[in-house]
Amino acid sequence: MKNFISTTIAVFLVMIPSLLAGQEIGVPLRFDSYYTYEQVIEAMQALNRSYPQLTTLEVVGKSEENRDIYALTINNSKTGEPLTKPGVYVDGNIHGNEIQAGEVCLYLANRLLTRYGELDDITSVVDRNVFYIIPVVNVDGRVHFFEDPNTPSSNRGLRRLKDDDRDGLFDEDFPDDLDGDGSITTMRKRDPFGKLKTDPEDSRLMIPVKPGEMGEWTILGSEGIDNDGDGLINEDAEGYVDGNRNWGYNWAPPYVQSGAGDYPFSSRETGSIGRWMLERPNIVMVFAFHNNGGMFLRGPAIKAAGEFPAGDIEVYDYLGKNSEKIVPGYRYLVGWKDLYSTYGDFADFCDNLLGSYSFVGELFQVETETFDGTLFKSSEGGGIFGSSNEQDRERLKYNDHVTQGELYKEWTPYNHPDYGEIEIGGWVKMSSRLPHPFMLQDLVHRNASAVIFAAQQTPDITMEVFEKEKIGKDVYRLRVRLVNSNAMPSVLYQTIEHNLYPKDIITVSGTSAKVVTGGKIVDIYRDRVEYKEHKPEVQFCQVPGFGKVEYQFLVSGRGKVEIKHDSRKAGTRSVTVELK
Amino acid sequence: MRITNLIKPLPVLITGLLIASIAWGYPACGISDYTDASGVNRKLNQLQAGNSSISRIHELAVTPGGTGMLMLEIGTEVGSGDKTKPAILVVGNMSGNRPVTTEAAMNLAERVIADPDKYSGYTWYIIPLGNPDASTTFFAPVKFSSVRNFSPFNDDMDELTDEDGYDDLDGDGFITGIRVKAPDGEWITLDSDPRLLRKADAAKGEKGIYKIYDEGIDNDGDGRYNEDGRGGTDVNLNFPHLFKHFTPTGGLFAGSSPEAFSIIEFAFKHPELAMVFAFGETNFLLTPPKGGRQGSVDMEKISIPEEIGKAMGFDADRTYSMKEIIEKVQPMVPPGMQIDEGMIASFLGLGAVVNPMKEDLDFYNRISEEYRKYLEEKGVKEERFDPGSARDGSFELWAYYHLGLPVFSLDIWGLPKVKEDKKEASGISAESIGKMSADDFLALGKDKIDLFLKETGAPAQYSSDMIIGAVKTGQLTPVQISGMLKQMPAPRGEEGKGDPREVAMLAFWSQYRADSGFVNWKEYDHPDLGIVEIGGFIPFLENTPPAAIVDSLLNLQVPYLFELIKMLPALKISDTEVTAMGGGVYQVEAWIENENYLPFSTAMGLRNKVPAPAIISLEGGDFTLLSGKIRTPMPGLGGLKSVKHTWLIQSDKTTTLTIMLNSSRAGSDSKQVKIGG
Repeated sequence: MKNFISTTIAVFLVMIPSLLAGQEIGVPLRFDSYYTYEQVIEAMQALNRSYPQLTTLEVVGKSEENRDIYALTINNSKTGEPLTKPGVYVDGNIHGNEIQAGEVCLYLANRLLTRYGELDDITSVVDRNVFYIIPVVNVDGRVHFFEDPNTPSSNRGLRRLKDDDRDGLFDEDFPDDLDGDGSITTMRKRDPFGKLKTDPEDSRLMIPVKPGEMGEWTILGSEGIDNDGDGLINEDAEGYVDGNRNWGYNWAPPYVQSGAGDYPFSSRETGSIGRWMLERPNIVMVFAFHNNGGMFLRGPAIKAAGEFPAGDIEVYDYLGKNSEKIVPGYRYLVGWKDLYSTYGDFADFCDNLLGSYSFVGELFQVETETFDGTLFKSSEGGGIFGSSNEQDRERLKYNDHVTQGELYKEWTPYNHPDYGEIEIGGWVKMSSRLPHPFMLQDLVHRNASAVIFAAQQTPDITMEVFEKEKIGKDVYRLRVRLVNSNAMPSVLYQTIEHNLYPKDIITVSGTSAKVVTGGKIVDIYRDRVEYKEHKPEVQFCQVPGFGKVEYQFLVSGRGKVEIKHDSRKAGTRSVTVELK
Repeated sequence: MRITNLIKPLPVLITGLLIASIAWGYPACGISDYTDASGVNRKLNQLQAGNSSISRIHELAVTPGGTGMLMLEIGTEVGSGDKTKPAILVVGNMSGNRPVTTEAAMNLAERVIADPDKYSGYTWYIIPLGNPDASTTFFAPVKFSSVRNFSPFNDDMDELTDEDGYDDLDGDGFITGIRVKAPDGEWITLDSDPRLLRKADAAKGEKGIYKIYDEGIDNDGDGRYNEDGRGGTDVNLNFPHLFKHFTPTGGLFAGSSPEAFSIIEFAFKHPELAMVFAFGETNFLLTPPKGGRQGSVDMEKISIPEEIGKAMGFDADRTYSMKEIIEKVQPMVPPGMQIDEGMIASFLGLGAVVNPMKEDLDFYNRISEEYRKYLEEKGVKEERFDPGSARDGSFELWAYYHLGLPVFSLDIWGLPKVKEDKKEASGISAESIGKMSADDFLALGKDKIDLFLKETGAPAQYSSDMIIGAVKTGQLTPVQISGMLKQMPAPRGEEGKGDPREVAMLAFWSQYRADSGFVNWKEYDHPDLGIVEIGGFIPFLENTPPAAIVDSLLNLQVPYLFELIKMLPALKISDTEVTAMGGGVYQVEAWIENENYLPFSTAMGLRNKVPAPAIISLEGGDFTLLSGKIRTPMPGLGGLKSVKHTWLIQSDKTTTLTIMLNSSRAGSDSKQVKIGG
């Protein structure tokens, strides 16, 4: 009984913060702070409740720690079933710390639903497309990022246990929040033999000593102690399986690709989402949001894969260059070439095995953190990893005057069990890779707009019989035109090159009619047709972006003849003509 | 003809084939001698039921065709979550078209389960049939060799899936071939045996007569024959080492088939796995895994691309060792981030290891020599065709490269070679020439050299005169000639003799079957092709021995696994020593020994860091550790090698501490040492 009472009290105590924080999440959603995992679900449920006709909420799978991974599908069933429409898939937060990606997804859903019927451009994409939205892929990661102390970059991987230091114990030496401020910052120690000294321009920063000069500081790494007593600090934290290296295309083992996981789809998150996506072969456009750097990255993710076919690059260029304008400062880049090679990459999986155009959106540019609001431009040319001192000085001014010190923890003395007297300080968890909430609205709106722009470019195909001519006794010549008014073709060039699945199918049928011959018109003025030798009533085609294809059929017989076009990415349509 | 696309033959020993007089009754009665998928599952369940305390059935996967792929676990630790004894994973017939390899795995299971000596020290995980769907075509009323499970696959990218498979037009129960005279025919019959065909050589004035097809009609009317039969994935191509995307039978991605995925998943959940064995297409005991392939990056000589080099201060004109790169990059990354090989390898796109590690080839070659000796002792004399090479994406290569375990395999039977008529033979081989001096070679004389060049099918420009001249002037050495000859493809269809493999098929099967395993060509009125002839080799005969000799094959080969098991690494603490250094400081030493031949962790396992290290730990006692660790991982220890681990401790009291050695795949041990007193 005593137990029961104390449990009840404990449960109640746990509930208090959520009750306090818990003004119910309403629609339209707000984007002036970050949603916790539970709040992301509440927000999705709120959207689903408010728009039951347009949305479906489902659990795609479970995480390693058994949390639900939710997907919100936006589809207007009055305009057709989801699989008959070009699918746009958007996800975020596959890396646990990259949380604003979840907000972009939620904002997109919120925008599409709350402005449906109000703004023609929104109404049109909602009616014509289906949107599959998974705001948080690494649900465990989001929870741990909010609840646990972290650096801006830690807690990225999936929560699949891994013995990083190979001592037979799993995930036993995490960083530790020694100063109890909720962030894992940096430890430094006064050391006359150190390689760093105090930056004369901002005493919080350190700069390298010159040769021969005595030093002041040695950096001891991330905040933490040697939890397992093996002489190493923070050497076996969560995982590490990187959700974005565990997919089934060009996967390579961990000795080749760090974070790959033991085998493709070894994690529950990638496995369940991968299966779910393959069950939706209509997906033609994919956005996966990450942070940071301000980039729209396309594949290939590894050099050895070779470049995409020219036709696909044209589409990517069109989308990418427009996205650069929609989100100022962001750059459209190629994964392996402009960044680095990644095996088992999600976008590669989508490009190659799902047959969809795919962008990784790297959200947020730390360059926006300036005192005067202009984009920071380095005169030193910065380091490869992290920001340079010059940039950090500017960011500290921004921290001091624009965020009132919210982003930086001042150096504070601490007595460390191994190192003795040290100082702890530096950029806090909610800094460096995340926009301050006051800048969040702009980020989510512009990036969601890039998605909507791409949705507007998914294939939109019309079919007409533009000529019907009797050319003999009971023989008719039918000419069919398929026109695509958008940038994306009805099937990717790469899909065709790889024989991933059959091209679009045109079938001509009639109960009293027979197709004598038929084929693609290559020169309409000279009546040159590539006749298909066998089964002319079935033709395979691709309708190019901003283009057309024309087919000719010689049909004998009479009565109604139906011509049908069936495309995995662009739905089906048919036209009926009467032979007479 | 399906038989033509087989592997190039090379001479190796044939596993003991006693000429049996009993014909393989295939198809009439002998089928019952091989076990189909339901029979395998029934037998496994029976075996388990009869030995329930030491065995357990696991249904690892259900195939796309709906059959359970079962695994029999045998050992004294069944049911226990944490296994302490080394385990052997055995898989049979992953490609599905080699019924004899299923028999071998079943036979092994029976031997193990009947003998406590075989299972008391080990756990056995045996999957006798890794590709149940594909295996069905051997037992079906119409037989054809297939490696595909029943996941649908649209081979011809048309509007239908799995719509145009083979058709048994002549109703004999076999899918054989069709030959039809055609103006664009490329094939002609052999003079020596008009049943067999070879390609006409226009350069020699030969004109082709026949076109050939597999037996069947154009079911879907698209002008092609049998281009989209039932099924999709060859399970034995669906594993992640060098998996190839977009092949007809590989599957969509590595592990896309439930069969392969379940095995991969199982293996990574079982750190006690110490060895992997495959009864299948390869025979690593006869022919160790091959090296010499382009593509592996030398970890001592890594080039850095210019753009990366510039940004990070590397010189694009020289190479770096992995260690140098890590040392250089580590200071550039944010504090707390630990750079490892994998990060560098992926950042630079170095790619996968494609050749077996040299140290591993050493034990492979040695074990192969032993095995050949064993066969010789057992009286195996005949030469057989070479077993297949392991294919990219295969189970065997994945187990070696990704699990980092020693992997062995047997294909149980290979077609015996036809004995050459020795009368005219030169008696020389490329091998023997390689050992000759120039004088020895010239002493052979022109006639012998002529005969030899003819035997090897050397191109016409290599006349005996030319070669003798070159050797005399020193332009060519016998070693070089030997090397050149070894590079040449084995003679095929030379002098109208036909494919040696086909000739050997007829020769072998004539001992067992009145039809020699060949359906004679018979006229047939084909709906699409008109008058054709149907005939050719009966499916499966190239890799499936007559049922009558299966027992002797299994008795010869299967027990050899127990020899291999004896070589598995076994770790123990062989000795300990405590030295008082004064002031309460003691040096504690422990010798760790690998008592057996195989290394603890293959070289590949050390590279990929998948096999868990053994952990040496200090437990109990009251002391302060001055140097060394409480838990020390030991990733590797060579076969028959010892290594010393040392700790420095301080204790003012008399105390006893325990040195523990733990490895789930190489045994555990502990020793107590006394400090002070």
